[in-house]
Amino acid sequence: MTSTPNPIPSLTLTQTQTQTLTPIAATLTAITRRASLGLLLAGALLAFAPALHAEPTRGGTLTLLLPSEPTALVTVGNVATPILSVSAKVTEGLLKYDYDLNPQPQLATAWQVSPDGTVYTFTLRQGVKWHDGKPFTAADVAFSIGLLKKIHPRGRNTFANVSAIETPDDHTVVLRLTKPAPYLIRAFVATETPIIPKHIFDGADPLTNPAISAPIGTGPYKFKEWVRGSHIVYERNPDYWDKPKPYIDRLIVRVVADPAAAAIAFETGTVDLGYRTPVPLADLARLKAVPTLRFETRGNSYSYNVTRLEFNLDEPHFKNEKVRQAVAHAIDRNVILKVVNYGVGQVAYSPIAPGLKTYNDPTPSPYAFDLKRANALLDEAGYPKGADGVRFRVPLDYNPIGADGARLADYLRTTLARTGIAVTVRSQDASAFIKRVYTDRDFAFTTNGASNLFDPTVGVQRLYWSRNFIKGVPFSNGTHYQNPQVDALLEAAAVENDPARRVQLFKEFQQIVARDVPDLNLYQPEFITIANQRVHDHSLTADGVESNLADVYLQ
Amino acid sequence: MNPQRAARTLGLSVIQAIPTIIGVILLSFFLLQAVPGDAADVIAAESGSATEAGMAAMRSHFGLDRPVLQQLEAYLGNLASLNLGVSPRYNLPVSDLIFSRLGNTVLLMFSALGCALAAGIALGAVMASFVGRWPDRVLSLAALLLYSTPGFWLGLMAIILLSVQLGWLPPGGVSTIGSPATGLAHALDVARHLVLPTLALAGFYVAIFARLTRAAMLEVSRQDFVRTAHAKGLAPAAVALRHVLRNALIPVTTVAGLNFGTLLGGAVVVETVFSWPGLGRLAYESVMARDYVVLMGILVLSSLLVIVANILVDLLQTLLDPRIRAH
Amino acid sequence: MSTDFLSPSLPQAAPAVYAVSTHRRARTLRRLLANPGAVVGGALLLLILLAAVTAPWVFPHDPLDMVGPPIQWPGQDPEFWLGTDTMGRDIAAGLAHGARVSLTVGVTAALLSLAIGIAVGASAGYFGGWVDVVLMRVTELLQTIPSFLLVVVIVAIGRPSVSVIALSIGAASWPVVARLVRAEFRTLRESEFVLAARSNGFGHARIALLEILPNALPPVIVTTSVLVANAILMESALSFMNMGDPNAVSWGSMIGDAREMLRTAWYLAALPGLSIVLTVLSLNLLGDALNDAFNPRLSA
Repeated sequence: MTSTPNPIPSLTLTQTQTQTLTPIAATLTAITRRASLGLLLAGALLAFAPALHAEPTRGGTLTLLLPSEPTALVTVGNVATPILSVSAKVTEGLLKYDYDLNPQPQLATAWQVSPDGTVYTFTLRQGVKWHDGKPFTAADVAFSIGLLKKIHPRGRNTFANVSAIETPDDHTVVLRLTKPAPYLIRAFVATETPIIPKHIFDGADPLTNPAISAPIGTGPYKFKEWVRGSHIVYERNPDYWDKPKPYIDRLIVRVVADPAAAAIAFETGTVDLGYRTPVPLADLARLKAVPTLRFETRGNSYSYNVTRLEFNLDEPHFKNEKVRQAVAHAIDRNVILKVVNYGVGQVAYSPIAPGLKTYNDPTPSPYAFDLKRANALLDEAGYPKGADGVRFRVPLDYNPIGADGARLADYLRTTLARTGIAVTVRSQDASAFIKRVYTDRDFAFTTNGASNLFDPTVGVQRLYWSRNFIKGVPFSNGTHYQNPQVDALLEAAAVENDPARRVQLFKEFQQIVARDVPDLNLYQPEFITIANQRVHDHSLTADGVESNLADVYLQ
Repeated sequence: MNPQRAARTLGLSVIQAIPTIIGVILLSFFLLQAVPGDAADVIAAESGSATEAGMAAMRSHFGLDRPVLQQLEAYLGNLASLNLGVSPRYNLPVSDLIFSRLGNTVLLMFSALGCALAAGIALGAVMASFVGRWPDRVLSLAALLLYSTPGFWLGLMAIILLSVQLGWLPPGGVSTIGSPATGLAHALDVARHLVLPTLALAGFYVAIFARLTRAAMLEVSRQDFVRTAHAKGLAPAAVALRHVLRNALIPVTTVAGLNFGTLLGGAVVVETVFSWPGLGRLAYESVMARDYVVLMGILVLSSLLVIVANILVDLLQTLLDPRIRAH
Repeated sequence: MSTDFLSPSLPQAAPAVYAVSTHRRARTLRRLLANPGAVVGGALLLLILLAAVTAPWVFPHDPLDMVGPPIQWPGQDPEFWLGTDTMGRDIAAGLAHGARVSLTVGVTAALLSLAIGIAVGASAGYFGGWVDVVLMRVTELLQTIPSFLLVVVIVAIGRPSVSVIALSIGAASWPVVARLVRAEFRTLRESEFVLAARSNGFGHARIALLEILPNALPPVIVTTSVLVANAILMESALSFMNMGDPNAVSWGSMIGDAREMLRTAWYLAALPGLSIVLTVLSLNLLGDALNDAFNPRLSA
């Protein structure tokens, strides 16, 4: 359909121009050229993507690709990404959210938050049935929230302020809070707070309930079968409350572990849809030239990620502020983004992702890329260069989940070598990494990724709050940062009902941590959803493909 | 062969197998305990979040907070009643998990072994009959090249050529998902998906069997009874087939049996490259996920398979050479 | 990747008893040198060894350093004659330094396997009885566990580094050597020169080490090249699965990194793959030649 457009002249560099640049800059330029072309092409395709909404055609089978197999099909006790991918197809939430995280009805048709922020009233949808025919009532909602508060990895914190859940009638739920929780209204998406049937889950251990692997919900798709190691089959729910949806007959979820094989699967049309960039980043440019594929970046706003470098503030070298500042001066975030993530994303200076525009402080780091300054600071800190040019050696542990960790570690090793810090990269699998960093605290610094989730209080506070330094708990305050001022700001923001004041509190917080530099936030990766041209309306909400996919149709 | 004797041999082999299996369990159990991190850490890592209470609940749910020896005792107790335990991660009985993937692995292994044997023996026979001349030299070099190539690299190159460029074969998976084919159509579909992984896995073994057959045939053909057969006036082809090849198969089957267990290990990488849902990949994933009940279940099974394979090889050899008596 | 396949010789064949005579050894050496396979294999191996040894001088910078524009094809850039990878690293430097890693792992693993295997096999074969039974049970045990999985577990216990990888491969591969040595010892133990030594009053250790072991060595020497070859293959598979040493460039890790670029820059996987094939091939050629030299009646 489309052919590769001619390169824009201003972006083309001659061979000689490239060779006179320094190697890293040359790397930068070469990738910029390719990435820019790719982005241009993507932009062109998006612009032409039909937004015409004729009557969606019915029928067909959609094949969704997952890079790893889920261990359960409902996000009750475990919120690993593969489970997030499938959970909402069957179990829905009270609300869904548009791209800017504004709530919209799903199982709740109306909602009210009292002016002081301590009473939440939800009016539930009438006439909704569970897949086994029983009616959906407020008792199910009350039960779900109560259970999630107990066993969900984030539920305990998200619903911490909820002191009572009332069900005055079958279609009204009232939550009473001890203190305001300004983030709470955004916590009701299907994957974060799934509404599960009380009559199935009540009374038995939820983690071993067979319904975790054969779920019953209110969603547009009914679970049909799960062939372990291969695929999951969902079928259209003919009694879905949002008629005439869903439009497709069947949804097949297929596990393809190898990203290169996933790319091939998209090209050959074996799979129709995949999200969170399921193909190798290096392949994106090539895939964008394939006429049957479409690329979408919207639908990834529920949970922004920030890739970061975390120091262990108890480690002798990084205890010293000057050393940390030197490391900050030694990294060039633009190069990191280009080299590690192929330019897919944006640079981030703050732990609050740039995508969370309301709260993000876009001010660049006070420590700009300056190798001379880095070297000077290290001299000042009392680490002179030895005869071999090395000041000191430190190990670097990278989070092995995701392919960019190893590349980032390689970049850091190279750039820190130029300041005289000799980095030894240590690799290990996810479990060993978690134990080393959070239980044994046997590390100097790590590269890690943190999800902002749907609100900084939920996603960011846990990394900086001194009371969240708990050994043995992953993704807690790994740096062991303790700043009473920051604690006060975070605690105030957690219960601040006035939106403007809340933004102010977070902005102050970001300025302090940018100065204290207990960690370095590097970039926010952009997640790309790839779809076959016949798939429409797959990413209409903030959670995109992780939503219930009720609107999707094939044509 | 005497059925009573066969039964006795079988019984003895089974009894001798038990200490081996127990040894495998003990070794893998203690090795896995030595690996840092546990199943709860993995789930927390994948979830990107955790709470103290949540981790504690998970550990108690997995039984990880019990003392090590108690966990081992519980496992062995279960095993005595032929129960392989429940995988806490998948919330499924281990036997279910294994059996859901066993078919795929057995299919791949048998197909690889079968192709390797067939191709290897044929090639080896050809090499032996042209011994010293250029067909032998060329084929020997080819065999050596195959033997020196990493299986995963061979697989990747095969995908590029045969799947992407030529489009003849699918790039992965075990069958076309969602296709309503049954019976013969389904079997053919699976067969198409089987070709590339078999090629990648079998390449190494084709070389082994070819060289072994060649050497064995050369060795046997020097022996007296072959000279007698020639002197009797038997056609060279008949001599080759009935006398030489038959006896040459003995070392070949021995090595084939010995390699059965290591096929599973080699399958790990091939299954990854081709997204083949088999036990090799499951074993690797369970090491990463610290799901030790699943790994031990697979190892127990693989030990059994190796033992069974060795028994079968012994029986086969008795058929091939009646002088070898089952003792 | 089994080291069970030792050589084309029959596993059950009882080897001829070689009296330790210089005449015999000279003949063996001559046969070896006359074998074209040995010459080619040896030359190839020497070349690779040369590349590995001279790497720190020819390519002095860290091969993991990003030194050039990314994804340059071989021959495209005169400074990087074998091209660069996705992060702008020099492929030629990677191949040369990778040779060091592969050969180090291969030789170390093989030596460890030999050490353990000879110790176990000699004891089992010489003493027999319950020593034999216990040691063979342990050997069987290790052979039943798929060796790749065992290596993965041991590497996970330690940390992925070149030494740990070499040690774990060595620890997983000794059973084959043990079986072989045991078979040799069992046969040789009954031979005449051993009886003579015993009647002279020599102790067990002296007999085992000085009388039997030298005669048991020929098949072991043949196996060594196969051990090195298989260790290299296993290390490349580990690195491919991202369990290799992150501070070292190895051919397997280069192929692993190249997986994403198979469609557009397949030279990134082809060149290190070819290096592995050539190295392992040379070792196997040598192994074959050694076997032919020691067992002349089996060669054509």
